[in-house]
Amino acid sequence: MKKLPKRAVVFVGGGLTAGLAARQLTEKGIDTLILERGGDHERGAEARLPTQRDELRWDTYQGLVQDWAVQTYTLRHASKEQALPVRWMEAFLPGEGLGGAANHWNGHTWRWAEYDPQLRTRFESRYGKRAISADMPIQDWGTSYKEMEPYHDLFEKLFGLAGKAGNINGQLQAGGNPFEAPRRGEYPQKPLEISESGLVFKQAVEKMGYKPFPTPAANSSAPYTNPDGQKLGQCQYCGHCERFICEARAKASPEVLLYPMLRQRKGFEVRLKAHVLKVIYDAKARRATGVQYVDLNTGEEIEQPADVVVLSAFTMANTRLLLTSGIGKPYDPVRNTGVVGKNFCYQTNSSINLFMSERWINPFMATGSTQYYMDEFNNDNFDHGGLGFLGGGGISGGLFHGRPVSARRLPPGTPRWGTEWKKANAQWYLHSLNFGIQGSCYPHRDNYLSLDPTYTDAFGQPLLRMTFDWRENELAMSRYVTAKMAEIAKAAGADIVGPAVPRQAPFDTRQYQSTHITGGTIMGNDPRDSVVSPHLQHWDAHNLFVVGASVYPHNSGYNPTGPLSALALRMGDDIARYAASPRLL
Amino acid sequence: MQQDSKNPPQGDEQEVPARRLFLKQAAGIAGAMPIGLQFGVAGGGAILAGPALAQATGGASAPEVAAGYASLSADEAAFVEALVNLMCPADSYTPNGVDAGLAVYIDRQLAGAFGKGAKRYMRGPWLRGKPQHGYQLPLIPEQFFKAGVEAAEQACTAKFGKGFEQITAAQAEAFLRDLAEGKVAHDQIDLAAWFNDLVYPLFNQACFADPIYGGNAGKVFWKMIGYPGLPATHTINMIQYRGKPFPGANDPKSITDFS
Repeated sequence: MKKLPKRAVVFVGGGLTAGLAARQLTEKGIDTLILERGGDHERGAEARLPTQRDELRWDTYQGLVQDWAVQTYTLRHASKEQALPVRWMEAFLPGEGLGGAANHWNGHTWRWAEYDPQLRTRFESRYGKRAISADMPIQDWGTSYKEMEPYHDLFEKLFGLAGKAGNINGQLQAGGNPFEAPRRGEYPQKPLEISESGLVFKQAVEKMGYKPFPTPAANSSAPYTNPDGQKLGQCQYCGHCERFICEARAKASPEVLLYPMLRQRKGFEVRLKAHVLKVIYDAKARRATGVQYVDLNTGEEIEQPADVVVLSAFTMANTRLLLTSGIGKPYDPVRNTGVVGKNFCYQTNSSINLFMSERWINPFMATGSTQYYMDEFNNDNFDHGGLGFLGGGGISGGLFHGRPVSARRLPPGTPRWGTEWKKANAQWYLHSLNFGIQGSCYPHRDNYLSLDPTYTDAFGQPLLRMTFDWRENELAMSRYVTAKMAEIAKAAGADIVGPAVPRQAPFDTRQYQSTHITGGTIMGNDPRDSVVSPHLQHWDAHNLFVVGASVYPHNSGYNPTGPLSALALRMGDDIARYAASPRLL
Repeated sequence: MQQDSKNPPQGDEQEVPARRLFLKQAAGIAGAMPIGLQFGVAGGGAILAGPALAQATGGASAPEVAAGYASLSADEAAFVEALVNLMCPADSYTPNGVDAGLAVYIDRQLAGAFGKGAKRYMRGPWLRGKPQHGYQLPLIPEQFFKAGVEAAEQACTAKFGKGFEQITAAQAEAFLRDLAEGKVAHDQIDLAAWFNDLVYPLFNQACFADPIYGGNAGKVFWKMIGYPGLPATHTINMIQYRGKPFPGANDPKSITDFS
């Protein structure tokens, strides 16, 4: 196998977290190489008009998403079942190519609740030690919001977030989220324009005494120059945002704000079409010595030695690389031992349709983040005493697009074809909307990732196997919050309100729910129940770091991008400290 | 229900381009009855027809649909044409399914990357899963589509003594509804899964995808719902037309208009 000269820091996966950490490293002159399995989207049909606005190509047929023919995941709902490969995944959509899933993301960017990094401590102190069931391995992260706040602030400035502060240094701000963790200042940009659907929601929830606020967005509300001198265009509200690349460079993304700048920096290299097979691990020395990858341009297998290796791929790939490389002890739910693959979580969502003949909703004027949100029933923002579940969900109103193949709502009972079907489409496309819930998903002892014993990918490696289903805690939470949403929908004055259906088991791969899958390489204070340290350093190889939503011990009722970006920036600084003096940080 | 006199039906009784007429006669010779004779007559009711709709369905400006099939055999084409004309009858909203390009769309998808199983994990073993695992057959979508057509024809013939394109519109409607609801049994093909997970999404895409793919001819479905299409630069519209009718919805633009 061809062996290349050693590099200081080698990243596996060229998405958002690698770009952010590489910014910190190259700023300090540290040699950085990023290996990315895909290509560069910047000049492709996906990033240029008119082909960018092709719903069928990029949305229906998942043009920017991982190729399932090369690599997919298997699923079983319980350990006793046989797992089957998901041959075409709809439920969640990992990206491929430079920028990763942050090319086709919506742009919602939250700081999670101040208590999220200490969730176990929070629940135990509020509800008592017995409130957390033995099947729910919630744990503190080993870090705090206060430690992450400077990096949240930096990330929000780099990505030009548009929003309205709800809490500046402990002072609640009118029009913002009263449950927001304290910020040092306003958002870098004013909020996006509210859409008609957002207005319907805002009016309804204000009438009920709740406090709606605009979702913090990485969709630029105006032309913006970030602290690095990198520029965002103004959002066009084109309705081709999530699942698409923004040709107007108005959606903050690594390919707009990070990689063009990094490529100008000395000591930075990104190598495309490099599919990493494993981390080379010296178990005796407890060190990662480099990575082995296939150069997709030649088919050749190559060894790339490194002083420091960083796993910065998608949640699933980070976990699989540790398992295929034999680093760390795989999680065993029966004996409750091991850690790799543990605390696999998702996002517990539901929605309700509203039909309002008097309102011109114009769903096609939208961004990936045009919505109003309310946090009263999210996470632990309300008293769970006697409710029988933990967690909650943010309730929102607003549409992200009106793309006609997928975003037409029809009243219950509409025929599925024929003239009456057309009539309903003609009547309601411009006059309907939905409210939605993005709910937390806490870990369950039987929800985990492991290597599949049967199915392999195009490189001959085992597929990653999901053992996952909706457990009673999440089902009960969804019933409760969905009923709250139904009350709001009834108060909105709609002609017709669709059924309020809470999330139901079994987990269904045929329906898009969210790309927010978390866990598998979780962080924590103790090597017995975590894969990486609070500084994201692997307990069994201190020169191996892991970053991304895979380090979250639980999933909150928010999009995952904010904290993982803050953690990635901090990790960049931590790796620089490690490089100066290798040790357990 | 009453006929809308402003918008006459777009059946095959009306003008048919010579080339298409030839193809249909050829299909008839191959054993399939010329389609559209039953379903082409609009069963459509009284509809609110705006100016855009009148333009969409005006007889003289019937949109051009590419002729010929790249995947479907004559028999399969007869089935698909009957199906799309049932699911999309000519009415005041759109021409019939064939004239709206729906059969051509489905054919092109089956002949192209989708039909050949692009991006789909196709390694064995092939086990029977739960519905939530999604499609689990070793057939590529084109093969499964055709296997389903054959199975549906068999089931139809067993019930009515003739093929799907030969039964009456009322019979076809009832048959298709039963099939979608899992009430039409076949010993090898799960016809409900075939229709709901493969045929119906193709039908929906045929109606609403950009016309560059062959369906939604003349943007009739976009005009019907008021989707303005491209270029979708709405920064100013967002404020000016929030909560108001957007004029661009009357004249949608597709990728073709910018190419």
